[in-house]
Order: sequence, then C-alpha cells, then structure tokens
Amino acid sequence: MPPTNLPISEISRANSTRRQFLKNSAATISGLALSSCGWRLADVQSAPPVKGNADQLFIYTWAGYTDKALLDRFAEKTGIRVVADVFDSNEAMLARVQAGGGRAYSIIYPSDYMVIQMTELGLLSQLDHSILGGLDRLKKQFQNPVYDPGNRYSVPLAWGTTGLIYNSEQLKEAPEDWDYLWKHKKELTRRMTLANDVREVMGAALRMLGYSLNSTNPEEVKKAYEKLVELKPAIASFTTDAWRPQMLTGDLKLAMCYSSDANEVLPDNDKLRYVVPKSGSSLWTDTLVIPKGAPNPEAAYKWINFMLQADVAASLVERLSFSTPSEDAFSLLTPQVRENPILFPSESILKNCEGVAPVGKFIDVYDRYWTKLTSG
Amino acid sequence: MYIPIYRGWGRVYEIVYFRRLLLVNPPLPINNQQLKLKTENYLLFMAVSTKGPPPIPPNSPSKPETVSRWSSWAGPLALLGPSGLLLALLLVIPTIVIFQLSLVPNIKPGDLVNPSGIANYLRVFEPLNVQVIGRSVFFATGTTILCLVLGFPVAYWIALNVSPKWRNLTLLGFVLPLWTSSLLRSYAWITILRPTGVLNSVLALVGIPPLELLNQSSAVLIGMAYSYLPYIVTILYASLEKLDRRLLEASQDLGANPVETFWQVTVPQTMPGIAAGSLLVFISCLGDFVDPELLGGASSMTAARLIYNQFLGATQNWGLGSALSMVLIFAVSIGIALLLKYGDRNAV
Repeated sequence: MPPTNLPISEISRANSTRRQFLKNSAATISGLALSSCGWRLADVQSAPPVKGNADQLFIYTWAGYTDKALLDRFAEKTGIRVVADVFDSNEAMLARVQAGGGRAYSIIYPSDYMVIQMTELGLLSQLDHSILGGLDRLKKQFQNPVYDPGNRYSVPLAWGTTGLIYNSEQLKEAPEDWDYLWKHKKELTRRMTLANDVREVMGAALRMLGYSLNSTNPEEVKKAYEKLVELKPAIASFTTDAWRPQMLTGDLKLAMCYSSDANEVLPDNDKLRYVVPKSGSSLWTDTLVIPKGAPNPEAAYKWINFMLQADVAASLVERLSFSTPSEDAFSLLTPQVRENPILFPSESILKNCEGVAPVGKFIDVYDRYWTKLTSG
Repeated sequence: MYIPIYRGWGRVYEIVYFRRLLLVNPPLPINNQQLKLKTENYLLFMAVSTKGPPPIPPNSPSKPETVSRWSSWAGPLALLGPSGLLLALLLVIPTIVIFQLSLVPNIKPGDLVNPSGIANYLRVFEPLNVQVIGRSVFFATGTTILCLVLGFPVAYWIALNVSPKWRNLTLLGFVLPLWTSSLLRSYAWITILRPTGVLNSVLALVGIPPLELLNQSSAVLIGMAYSYLPYIVTILYASLEKLDRRLLEASQDLGANPVETFWQVTVPQTMPGIAAGSLLVFISCLGDFVDPELLGGASSMTAARLIYNQFLGATQNWGLGSALSMVLIFAVSIGIALLLKYGDRNAV
C-alpha cells in the first residue's frame, strides 16, 4: 500500500482541486493510521539467534526418517545427542518455523518445492561446501537440482515417486497409466483412494492430459479439474496415510501413494504391487537444510556429513526404505535392493516425472478447484 | 462438567430460603397487595428452583457503610484476576488478532498485516464456501438429533430406574470413552465400518448383505454421535434426575397413558436440559475436524477442514482462514447465547 507521505502543502501546490486535496489527505491520514498498527505476520527473521548446547542437536524431520540405531550411531561417533521432532506436511512445518516455533532446530528436512519457498522467504542459511564432504558423490541429477541449483541451501537426502499401489488379485488387468482409473471407473468405484494433496492429485490429472505437473495455464488446470470431477463418484476418499490398513485387508483395490510408503507396505501382502504411471508423475526429493540463525551449526554440519557417508546412507535405504541420491551408497547396496523397481525405477520411467514446484499466486486457483472437488 | 454427586442440596436450599423469606419479611402486618406480591415471589422462586440453580438469597444482611469500595472489589479481583488474565491473553487477544488478519486479503506468513477491507468475508459467502459451511451445519444438526434420540432413553433409565447406589458408576461407565483419544475412536470406527470390517462380518453371519458405510456422510454421523453421546447423556441425566416424580404419578392418576405423560410432563420439565445438551453437541460438532476427515470420504469438506487448509494447506491464505474462523466463532457465539438463555444452567 503506498501511503502518500508528501507534505500537505506540497500536494496543494501541485495545483489540485479541493476534492483531490481532500482525497489525498484522507489517504495520507488513513495510510499513516493503518501502517502504524500494521505488524508483520510471523516475523522470525529479526529474532536473535538461539544459543544452543554444543552437545545437543535438534532436528525437525518426517516421521519414519530416523530411528534409534541412527541416532545412537551418531552419538557414538560425535558425542552429540540428537533430539528429533517430526512433522507430517511441509506446510505444517513451514507454519511452525514462521511462527517462531522452529528456532531450536539446527536441521530441517523440507521437500524440494518447500526449499524454493523457504529460500525465497529467506529462512535458510547458505551452506559452506568446504565443510561438506561427499556432495560430488551424489548422482548427477542431484548435483544441480532445479529446486536449488548447485545445492547452495540444501543437501538431497532421499527421493521417490508418487504412483499407484494396487491389489493384483482384485484387478483384472494391471494399471499402467493414470487413464486406467477412468477406464475402469466402474470396477474401482469406492475401492480407490487418491492422495490428500491438491498438487499431487491435480498433477496426476494434468500429466494424464499431457500437461506439466506445474501448469499455471488456467485452461489446462480447468480441464484437469473436469477430469477429476468425472472420476469423483468412484473415489472413496482423499487420504495420504489411511489407505494402508485397507489396502492390506483388501478393502481397497487401488490407492495413490508415495513409493517409500508402498515399499514399506508391500512385504506385508504379496498381492500388492506398485507402479509409476507411464505418462509421468511427481518425483520428490527430501533434503537437509540449516535454517538461518540456527543454534549449534557445527553439529548441524556434522549431521549432514554423517548422513552423506555412504555406509550410513546405504543402511538407511535398507532400514527405512527410501531411495538414496548417493552414488557411493547405491553401490554398497545388495543387488536385490538395487534392482527394486519401487526404490530405483528405470530411467525411462523417471524421464516423464517432474518435481512439484511452487506456482506462486496461482495456487489460489488450484485451491478453489480442490475445495470444489472435495465438497461437491 | 456437572457431576451430580451432591444431589439433594437444592432441596435443602429451598427450605432454608423459604424460611429466610419468612424471617426477613415477617408475616404481620400484611395487606392484600403484599400478600399477592409474596405469593408471586414464592411461585416465581419455585419456578426458578425447578429450573435449577439455587438462587443467592437476596436481602442478605447489608454490610456496614464503613467498608470501603476497594475491599468490595478486592475479593472478586483476587478470585477472578488470574483466570481473567489468562483469558485475556489466550482468548481475547488472539481473537482480536484473528479478526485483524481476517481483514487482510490474501495474507501469508511473513506479510505485513494491514487491515484493508472485507474481501475475505465476501469470499466466505461465495456459493462454494457456503456449501461447505452448509455441510458442517448438516453434520452438526444430524449428530445432535442422533445424540438426543440415543441419549435420552439412557439418561432416563439411569436417572429413574437405576438404584441410587449404582447411578454414579453407570454414568461413569458412559463417560469412560472420553478417556481415550478422539483420533483413536475414529480409527476404531474405520475398522468397524470398512467393507470387510467388524460390522459387515457380523451382518454376514446373520445373513444380511454388507453395508457400504465408510467414506460417506453416514459414517461421519455415526462417528460424531459416538463422540458426543457422553456429553449429552450427562447433561440430560442432570436434568432428568430433578424430575418431580409426583407429577408423573399425578399424570397417571388423571388418566394419561405413558406416551402422553412422556410428552406432556417429562419433556417440558427437562426442556432446559435438552436445550443445553443439544446446543453443546451442536457447537462441538460445528468445529469437529477429526471425524469428517477420517470417516467422511471424498466429499466431506467441512468448515473446520477448510480452515485447516487455509492455514496449513498449500494455499496458506491466512486471511481467508481467519475470516472463516470469525464466521464460525460468530455462529458458535449465537449458539452459546441461546444456551445461556434457554439452557439448564445447573447442568452445563
């Protein structure tokens, strides 16, 4: 809002009519009045950095991304005790960090698109690559990712795809692409779930129509929405987690899910399969970042270096079931894990996948369609 | 919540109060006007006392004038100060902040708060959002009716048929589910209602075709009714427990059948309790988040979920979220105002 801060005499000298003069001065006064009571919503950047205990490290991570063995191994090696808090969505994590509730954390695990958003908001500190070892041993596509060119603010830790988990016994033919959902709508009615995530669901429809996952073309997004409306009566619910027990018991025939979750569930029911749709899907990367003004940065760098160690990364792939971007860690894996198509899909599949990127103000359009879709 | 342990106090109070009424206003000398007034006073009192709260006796011996004004304030201040401060800090100020945010269109964290209009409120009343609010109201109304229909017989039974020795225990049994997390209770309902779940297994044994309840509005109503039943039972119990049984007998003597007695004697007497219980359930349901989210399926967007999406979803439109919250707070305030006006104060 531009408050007119010119002195009143100057405005009147600008040879204005009386009406204009009144209008301007009213704007000035209301502008001053409003800006004096204006405050910044959740301004944490001006807050002084928190002083941390040197042998303690607070990390803010996804559920299922750390386990006791990992923390113990780190404590044994460095003498630093790690306290891990978990979040369940990037947005919830961002809201907490912005509200000042994340100032104790030295390490946060945002996903790719959230790294962009946090960098734009100035929440992340630039990483000192001279302290980090092993960045050059990352797979090529992770050395210069689109969401953070040159890995200036983030270090990739895990990646995966979004796809479909299905019960091979209950479906007559195996799904290969998103259009399967529409073609077999009748068979799947009320026996399938999609993710509870506007961008993933709209993204799937956009990819099926041959558009970009991050389309900001109102026409394309509208078409995707209309496709989903068509599918809507067959969708049991939009959920990111609750499909698990129902997939295992056979109450659901198909669910949209993340590859890491699918890989975790698959051993429990040998009828289940996972597929990345042919026309492409979202490819996600979870990263490690150090927020600005984080306490105890030395320990944070130690943690990142520890996670980049090939043997640590390899053991995480086997224990926590997510794909590693590290070339060295990959070569340490058993051939069985290396050939697991859920964790490490072939290049031909990956080439159609895209990362979810922020769409700026256009997110409002997505959100409106989402509200419409989930309330209709 | 009201836990009816000290039943009977009201009656004691009634007697004491009536005595005092007589003491303070000696019966002599008396004229017709005064007598009429006094009778009215008594009737009024009886009316109030059946409604519930033991009124504070008026005409308490007036304090000497020497007591300073300050000391008359000191008591309430000391008693209400701490909680008042807490309320101001954690309820009043945050509400003002939400109101302020609701006046900024498209505000995101990190933006400057500059109240500049009611655009957010206009968006709240777009047909799409009105539909969402309508669904919340539908869920709340449906749950209230279900709770009332299911809860009244139970409360009636506990209050009138269970021996006094067991009453508190039975009531406790009913409140027991509240001791587990509401999330857990919703998950339990998923297990019960899913296509091959507990309910359908039982139905299959009896030979009834399976029901498709999960991920529909019916599942939300079931889940919410289960969640809020204990509240309405305790409130209805408190109200029914004060039921004047002599009136029931009188009604029977005068030839009314049980149904007539129920509708014309029991229900009118417990109306304040019914109003209080229903409004409490309605208000709680309006803001419920867990049950619609977990049980409601693909078409279960409610006001609470919409607000969540604005704050923690992809849009992060805190302005619209705040405006929605203010509308919800306003609607709930109306509910509470009704509760205060018509509800059984003793029971809430």
